[in-house]
Amino acid sequence: MVNVEDLRKEAKRILKEGKVKYVIGYERGQNGLMPKPAFIKDPEDVDRLIWNPTCVHNLTKFLVDEKKRKAGEKKPDERPVGIVVKGCDSRAIIVLLQEKYINREDVHILGISCEQTGVIDEKKLANKLKGKKAENIELDEKGNFVISVQGGTIKVPAEELLAERCLECRANYPVVYDLLLGDKTKKKVEEPFKSLEKMESLSEKERWAFWTEQLAKCIRCYACRSVCPMCYCDECVVDTINFAVTADTTASEKAGKIKWVEKSPVPSENFVYHMVRAMHLAGRCIDCGECERVCPLDIPLRFLNKKLEKEAKELFGYDAGFDPDEPSLVSSFKDEDPEDFIR
Amino acid sequence: MDKILLKKALPQWVKKLQTYRIYAPAKDEDIWTYEAVNTPEDIDLEFLITALSPKKIIFPQREVYFEFNKDDNDNPDIKETIPEDEPTIVFGVRPCDAKALTLTDLVFGGDFEDVYYWKRRNQTILVGLACNTPPSTNCFCLSVEGSPHSKEGLDILLTDLGDKYYVESLTKNGVKLLNLAKNLFTPPKAGDKKDLQKIHAESEKKIKKQIKNLKKVPPKLKGMWDSSFWDEEAMSCLRCGICTYMCPTCHCFDINDEVHSHTPLTGKRIRTWDTCQFPDFTMHSSGHNPRPDKASRLRQRIMHKFQYFVERYQNYQCTGCGRCITNCPVGIDIIEVLDKVRDYGP
Repeated sequence: MVNVEDLRKEAKRILKEGKVKYVIGYERGQNGLMPKPAFIKDPEDVDRLIWNPTCVHNLTKFLVDEKKRKAGEKKPDERPVGIVVKGCDSRAIIVLLQEKYINREDVHILGISCEQTGVIDEKKLANKLKGKKAENIELDEKGNFVISVQGGTIKVPAEELLAERCLECRANYPVVYDLLLGDKTKKKVEEPFKSLEKMESLSEKERWAFWTEQLAKCIRCYACRSVCPMCYCDECVVDTINFAVTADTTASEKAGKIKWVEKSPVPSENFVYHMVRAMHLAGRCIDCGECERVCPLDIPLRFLNKKLEKEAKELFGYDAGFDPDEPSLVSSFKDEDPEDFIR
Repeated sequence: MDKILLKKALPQWVKKLQTYRIYAPAKDEDIWTYEAVNTPEDIDLEFLITALSPKKIIFPQREVYFEFNKDDNDNPDIKETIPEDEPTIVFGVRPCDAKALTLTDLVFGGDFEDVYYWKRRNQTILVGLACNTPPSTNCFCLSVEGSPHSKEGLDILLTDLGDKYYVESLTKNGVKLLNLAKNLFTPPKAGDKKDLQKIHAESEKKIKKQIKNLKKVPPKLKGMWDSSFWDEEAMSCLRCGICTYMCPTCHCFDINDEVHSHTPLTGKRIRTWDTCQFPDFTMHSSGHNPRPDKASRLRQRIMHKFQYFVERYQNYQCTGCGRCITNCPVGIDIIEVLDKVRDYGP
């Protein structure tokens, strides 16, 4: 069992001893049950930290932020930052380490095991609540979520509330950490790619129709990109101007910037954006599901990344985010790599 | 002009309006959006709040300014592309969203009238629906000089009285729509008017979220330009465009040429939504960015809505719809930010 007091104690210690600059964790949100990211600098504030099945966010994006912020400072504080991670989030750290985007000493990892559950899906919860306001949510011994609402409780089997990714999770406890809270009990997942079956059974024509309809909804707010810890490029193909501009960049270099994607939110451009993102995440996505969670128009983006995760597994036996010493999929070559799909 | 319309007669009314393009809320899995009504029977006003406001109908995310090409003699040829005549009715407009259009009117009107915006605005009739219960837990219209039964910006306001609607037509266009189906509307009885007033009064009490003393915010903001407050508040911001793209009052845009062919030259000049939350919004071609970080961009969003707009137009540029709160992936809550601004410093 995870005791949040252990987390607070460790956070307090590392802050007090000056081992970290600040700790990134979860705190109670203003907005009903859902928490929000917390940035704790003062050891006296550690009681703000919480841990429960609503802690959905993958906070590792803030490590990318930290690196970018530091790059702009003349005399940056070189101490690491503390960060609370779940199993999936810890795998994002592994990918960032593999790609040498961050160093191990940049981060003090407070790992928490999801043990036998995972995190809840806010939309599934809303559908169960039918307008009622949830005050608390806990897991009982029988694997049910017990939701406290005004004037009573609602009991729901965990599978009905868990985020889709948690139902297919292959790493329910952190794979890299400085402190681990909770048991390393492996949750049994027999069909890690079950959610893809329905999509895979569709014909090419049907899939085209499905994605045309879905991606037509996209308003290009780029929340899926913004929340993704793997989307750390200084310059993204969809940005309208070149962020790599310096005082030395010539006018013709600026004028010669290739426009890969138009800003118009029309199906062709939306397809390019989402395809480019999906391809750039192949062998890197650790299925934290954040892209799909944040989409304000409910585009099922996880399908795209899950499919590529499956391809990486089936074609190359590659699982992203488990071994920091293994080279990343796209930067390595093995003799036994298949090549029959190269035409 | 006040009337009563039986709920079951709504499709018959819509049938009489077939010369118009009609939009109404429709549910797509978990979200509501405004969709074209093809069969009048499908119209259903039992909805909550739409993902995007009707702003997307008046000020679409993509607008073609003009088409251009060069003829055989290399002479430029520009073809104007003003929106077509297409009289439109939007059913189920929430009072906050209608009020929001009165604010974008200020921006696209004034000394320079934006022909694209006004072409769509002038041919669109807004049929509102009062919010008897708040359609979102994050509604706070009362705090920003709005109300759940505000008539501002609407042509007709419907209020749900159980099996009928209380219909208030507020403009010439509103009266026109009623006259197209005169036999469906009956005069209200004394009891109906009473019910209406009661429901409106109760609906105000049901709004839980509020910003107290918002009046203190604009002057306070003036002294907070350099404050480290913004760094703290923006720590969790992801720099996505959700808060501004979902906002019914945000109106910033970008203009780009989309070139379809270089020889011969053909293309279109396009206006698309843009947002102050994207780093490239303020990026200069020199490589200098005057709003280089998340803190300065959050500051811009708050200052624009609660200081600059107030100074320029004597209105808050926010109607309390709550979309930015509901949809922020990291729980940044504009009410919380404004509360902190009001109480900030001495």
